Parts: sequence; structure tokens; C-alpha cells
Amino acid sequence: MALQMSRPGQCIIAAGGMDNGGIGTDVSKISDAIKAANTGDGVVVLVDLGSAVMTADTALELLDEKGREKVRIADAPIVEGAISAVVEASLGSSLATVLATAEDARNLKKC
Amino acid sequence: MIEIQVTITNKAGMHARPAALFVQKAASFSSKVKLASHNKVADGKSILAVMGMGLTQNSTLTITAEGADEEICIGALRELIESNFGESMV
Repeated sequence: MALQMSRPGQCIIAAGGMDNGGIGTDVSKISDAIKAANTGDGVVVLVDLGSAVMTADTALELLDEKGREKVRIADAPIVEGAISAVVEASLGSSLATVLATAEDARNLKKC
Repeated sequence: MIEIQVTITNKAGMHARPAALFVQKAASFSSKVKLASHNKVADGKSILAVMGMGLTQNSTLTITAEGADEEICIGALRELIESNFGESMV
């Protein structure tokens, strides 16, 4: 759904799951995805719960200082945050604005 | 400032995908865009605000645009809604 809402040139990479297809998170998979997604304007990383947060933190540590300079892990619900971040980024907004929109998504009321 | 009233006609209403299309269209103009419905007002360029309006099928809303390109902006937004965001009405 996030891809459907994106604009051409936006990079959205799913980096969940283990290399063997199992449930979980893989450090190198995440750091490779961050590197691939970083075209200069920055990267917002959406995580769900449990090990995803820890693994994403570790993946950031694997990157050199320049590589993680414009990378932010969003404290956001993964579905709402991802959709909101993709749309915000599609407007050409800054990394800080995209991150703020993702994090504000937790306030969306469902009923 | 230009103001129009429109009715959401696509079956699923202004859910995530139509809201994204609306915001992307609104943001392509320099004019300020506001939506008002059910006593709520939203910034037409904020995805969270537009999704948070909870506009369902047959909701009536007022759209205002203010700025140098307000006329073309309102026209484009009206067209988007009237085209049902490319979705079905039933």
C-alpha cells in the first residue's frame, strides 16, 4: 500500500524477516536496506516491536558516521507511520518533517 | 480565496489512498488548502489531518484554497474527487 502511494523515485524497502524466510529481524538485511535507501535526503526506518527496534539500532551501528547521519528510527506505529511517512516524503518534505509525520500517526483515531 | 462544496462519492470514502492522492495534488500548488466537514477543519496538505477527517461516502465537505494558483488548485481537487479517485462508486 505504501508503494502504491509513493511517487516515482521514492525508495521503500521491506527489510523485515530473517534471511531464511523466518520471522524476526536481521542486522545485515536492515543495514543493507538503509544503505540502498539512502540517496542523500535521508532515511526513516519503521520498526514494529520487540527485536525489530534492537536490531535496527544495531544495524545503524554497523554504518559509518556518514552513513547514519541522515537515518532516523521512527517511534511510530508501523502501518500508520509508514503510510504517513511515504506520503509526507512524496511531497518533497525534509527528513525532520517526514519523521514528525510518521510519529504523529500514533494520534490517528480509528473510531 | 475560493471555496467549493463537494460530496465524496466513491464507495470507500476518503480512506488512505484517496487521502494520499488528495494531499499530493493539494501540495503541488502553492495555495493554502483547507477542508471543512462535520465541524472539523483540516490542512489539505497534511496526510494525517486529511485521513483524520474520516470522510465516508456521501460526506459533504467544503474546500477552500487561497493563494496565487487558487483557481487551478480548486479545479484540480474538484476533478480528483469527482473522478472518485479512480475508484468505484458502488
